[in-house]
Amino acid sequence: MASEQRLRSRQAHAPGATYLAYTPNGKKLITAGVDNYCRVFTTGSDDEPITVDDCQENNAAVVAGNGFFITGSEDGTVSKYSLEGNKFEEILVRTTLPVRDVALSPDGNWIAVASDELSVNVVSTKDMTKVRTLRDQPRAVKHVSFDKKGEHLAVSCTDGNIYIYSLDEDEPEMVKKVDGMIKSLETESESSSKVLWHPDGRAFATPTALRDVQVMSTNDWARQRVFKTGHTADITAAAWSPNGALLATTSNDLNLKLWDTKTQKLLKTFDDVKATILAMVWHPSENILSYTNNEGELFIHTDFVPGEHLPLLNRSTVSAPFFHDPSEGRAGLASAPQANGTTRELPGRPRQRDGTPDSLDDLLGPDFRDDEARDDGDEDMEDFVVDDDGAGYAQAVNGHGKRTNGHLNSVEPSAKKRATASALFRPQIHEPFQPGSTPWRGNRRLLCCSLTGNVETVSQEGRHHTVTVNFYDQHTFRNFHFTDIFLYDKACLNENGTLFACQSNSAGDGNPAMIYYRPHETWTTRTDWRTNLPTGESVTAIALSDSYICVTTSTNYVRIYSLFGLPIRVYRQKSSPAVTCAAWRDYILTIGNGPIQSDLSTQLLYTIENVKHDTIYQDSDILALPPNTTLDSVFFSASGDPYIYDSSGVLLTLLNWRTNGQARWVPMLDTKCLLRLATGGKEESYWPVGVAFDSAGVSKFHCMIIKGREKYPSAPVPHLSEFSFQIPLSSASDRKKTIASLENEELSDDEESTGKKGENKQQEHEQSFILSSTLHAQLSSTLTHTRPSLSQKQDLTNLEVAIDRALLQLLGLECLAGEDHGMKALEIVSLMRDANGKMLDLAGKVASRYGRDVLGEKIRELAEKRAAGGDDEDEDEYA
Amino acid sequence: MALPLPPGLTPPEIAFLCEMELVTVIPRQRLEGLELLGGPLKPLNPPQRSNIPLWLALLLKRQRRANILPPPWLNTHSLTAILDHETEHADTFSPPPRLPSQPSDNTLPISPPFLPTSTADAAPDALPYHWLELGEMLLEAAADDFEEPDQVRKLLRGLREVRMAKLRSGVEVLDAAGGIKMNGVGGMEVGEGRSFITGVVDGLRKIGASREQQRKDRDAEEAENGYSGTAGDYDDDEMDMQ
Repeated sequence: MASEQRLRSRQAHAPGATYLAYTPNGKKLITAGVDNYCRVFTTGSDDEPITVDDCQENNAAVVAGNGFFITGSEDGTVSKYSLEGNKFEEILVRTTLPVRDVALSPDGNWIAVASDELSVNVVSTKDMTKVRTLRDQPRAVKHVSFDKKGEHLAVSCTDGNIYIYSLDEDEPEMVKKVDGMIKSLETESESSSKVLWHPDGRAFATPTALRDVQVMSTNDWARQRVFKTGHTADITAAAWSPNGALLATTSNDLNLKLWDTKTQKLLKTFDDVKATILAMVWHPSENILSYTNNEGELFIHTDFVPGEHLPLLNRSTVSAPFFHDPSEGRAGLASAPQANGTTRELPGRPRQRDGTPDSLDDLLGPDFRDDEARDDGDEDMEDFVVDDDGAGYAQAVNGHGKRTNGHLNSVEPSAKKRATASALFRPQIHEPFQPGSTPWRGNRRLLCCSLTGNVETVSQEGRHHTVTVNFYDQHTFRNFHFTDIFLYDKACLNENGTLFACQSNSAGDGNPAMIYYRPHETWTTRTDWRTNLPTGESVTAIALSDSYICVTTSTNYVRIYSLFGLPIRVYRQKSSPAVTCAAWRDYILTIGNGPIQSDLSTQLLYTIENVKHDTIYQDSDILALPPNTTLDSVFFSASGDPYIYDSSGVLLTLLNWRTNGQARWVPMLDTKCLLRLATGGKEESYWPVGVAFDSAGVSKFHCMIIKGREKYPSAPVPHLSEFSFQIPLSSASDRKKTIASLENEELSDDEESTGKKGENKQQEHEQSFILSSTLHAQLSSTLTHTRPSLSQKQDLTNLEVAIDRALLQLLGLECLAGEDHGMKALEIVSLMRDANGKMLDLAGKVASRYGRDVLGEKIRELAEKRAAGGDDEDEDEYA
Repeated sequence: MALPLPPGLTPPEIAFLCEMELVTVIPRQRLEGLELLGGPLKPLNPPQRSNIPLWLALLLKRQRRANILPPPWLNTHSLTAILDHETEHADTFSPPPRLPSQPSDNTLPISPPFLPTSTADAAPDALPYHWLELGEMLLEAAADDFEEPDQVRKLLRGLREVRMAKLRSGVEVLDAAGGIKMNGVGGMEVGEGRSFITGVVDGLRKIGASREQQRKDRDAEEAENGYSGTAGDYDDDEMDMQ
């Protein structure tokens, strides 16, 4: 080809290792090698390069910013040169051992210096006294690499691990140690273990010990796709094209290969390489790949990408090769519902995000993009992801039927764009989700977590998944797994069976959306069944109870089936679009988006009904969420009360929901107030699973504890943890303090600490009072609407006694506190339920024991009044 | 002839006592409630956690009917902290777990088998009485329930060595009126140290006795030789010494 004939070597330096860098604007190319000068080439000109003298010898790295370049030399100096005068400016860093790599942050303000010393220094290019030191790696460092925003630094250590540091705060912090990705290499080795950040910023790639290039996503540190390079020697250099659509790799076997990111297919092999290429850079905008080898030669390979693949290079930033794009989010939805006439794209093909190869946008290139479209869709999208929990939610679809690519913009979201976006009237609709499901992490994802077990799916090569159902009770149920060609993306699991749902066209042959029910055990032959939904309708959430199946769909229908697939009811949901649903026995709870609130998010509305009796208990009532929080899960407890868990970590239950207009959301547990978090320093979140009775008959919140910044459980699925309810009354640190003082008090028994102790006890009894009252209200509301069993009645009485006991303890504390607390003491007595008729007597005795005679008199009066006519009590309150 | 066993409890006996400790399990199958001598056992209902005696937990674990949750003090983080404490304070042992505050009517049991010191909600920063036996047994039977079993094993070994060294070095002061503070020493350590320490104390007593006898004889001699003026005081002192 003509382009290859033009390729000629330029003897830039004396034979030896040579490195190169482009300035960010691509106008200048700087090389550094073994001899004591650097050369500056001008792109597009064949003139003799400018030589910058007075350099160090044996340079091991060169980086270039706007108007300057920096070299690192094996004599331990990192020097800065000006490109304007082409002269030496200053020495930024001196190390005692040879410098091996230098990386420049994208803003050009910081350089990271890797040397044979154990620590990596990050030094400001403007003020060399500003130094941050990274010390977590135990051995010398071979490569350093900044990510595209300059927030993270990847350090490739010679012990075979990658250490990722966060540079957000003043004190750098190691966020992740990635082991088993790179080969353990000596610092002098020609082979590379450099971390190559993909231009879309959500993934990086490294050469592996198997001479492949492995991609890893940075939000969950899961291994993604692999470029099977087929090099017969260790990879010495690799580079993403500026838009991330192409990857060039080269190795000691003197081959230079060009790869397509999207398919990980080999596009072209260049076997005319004469010497091992040590460094390789793409021109920032033109079709040029330049590389230097260990013979001191520089090659400027113009028209590097063959003409037939040129559209790949010219398109805008391409997504990194994920198994499942993280931006699909928890719902696993590739795009918005079909109802608005846009085309669907499937989770299995995440990289198809630009238009067809010759769409207008591609031909015109990134500069001619429709900025309007980007403004209203993409930036907004990015805000949403960033402002929220970083999990990424489903993609919006812009008017052109394409999925937005806002998150792919390598530039950081500009405040100006954000301002214009929020000025538009754009309501934020709550993302639909399936309770208990997680987003893809690598090629795995949990479809359902319940107290019965969990359902996990693994995507396999060649468009199918493997679904595994694990039970906690392995004696009653048997774990099973099957090959899933329909790509089920939702599942429900209970004691009776498993329910699956897949989206339309998931198998690729235009199949409609389908639900599949598989009972665990039958006395006849297998009775599993599948039902197709009408074409064009997709499933947003499914729920399974002991007697019914509930499906909410994109066309706002609620479809209720019996467990044998008989359609029982179909109706349109009043609040739309649907968010999720839950079911317990005959009760169905559906949640949808309601009217828009002042912060442009929608208010969630729920409806609870009994399918069997055809009664609606609560109709489009408000699901109370504080601003900027989302709903994380919704489920029924084992006793049939609805619970929700929101993204701020609060578990709420609905009280009195069987009476229309009386329902209210009551917080039962705030995980931020848990005592285990009180010491601080612990970073964890809780993945809600359910609420059930423990062996002592006390309701407990079951959840998985997720350590670190993760939000979702991943393989291996963590053990369930249980927490007792605790209505948020005081913050955890306060309680911790009082407990600590209580412990100290045992040692130093003085007056002051007994006062503290009293206060602590009071909190404890107050908590027990309000919790027992809430549970009492919950249970009594259930019992008035159902046929109560004997044990339930007993529980109710026990709760009444528990309330009275807590009040009695409080009364004792008030009596102890002094005569002036008499009013409050009397109020406490008047709150007593007096379940067994002895509580008021006991209260009188407590009063007399502390010598509060006036109070005792009042209590006796109250007891007499109650004895005279219990009914009068209510009327007294009106009077 | 007497039973050829050393005084005190043998290690298997201590381990047997340790099996009364309650541990937290996650059952893998249902089990009806059991009426045991030590009290009724609540029915096991997966996936709810349950506190059951160690012997039953080990039985269920061997039959793959349960997973044992190691107590919080048995993770690498806590053990490292305790080991640091042990090595920093050369003369004392790390303190035992705090007792819960006593209710006024003295009904709360205060000895370890009846206090849940090894369940999932135990204190993470203190070694309970049966730490060594329990740790060894759990590592042997339920190593797959630990996050880093090898690391835990190593730390337990280190702890054991540090503390035994302290016990042995404490013997140096075990002369007639000496004593060492053994707060926080575990059951197995007491059992192991017993034969050695009692032997040392006994030996020291014998050595001391002969020396004492000599002195007494000499004093008696001197008294007979005519220092009767202060003899009365001496006698009193000697009585105290004996």
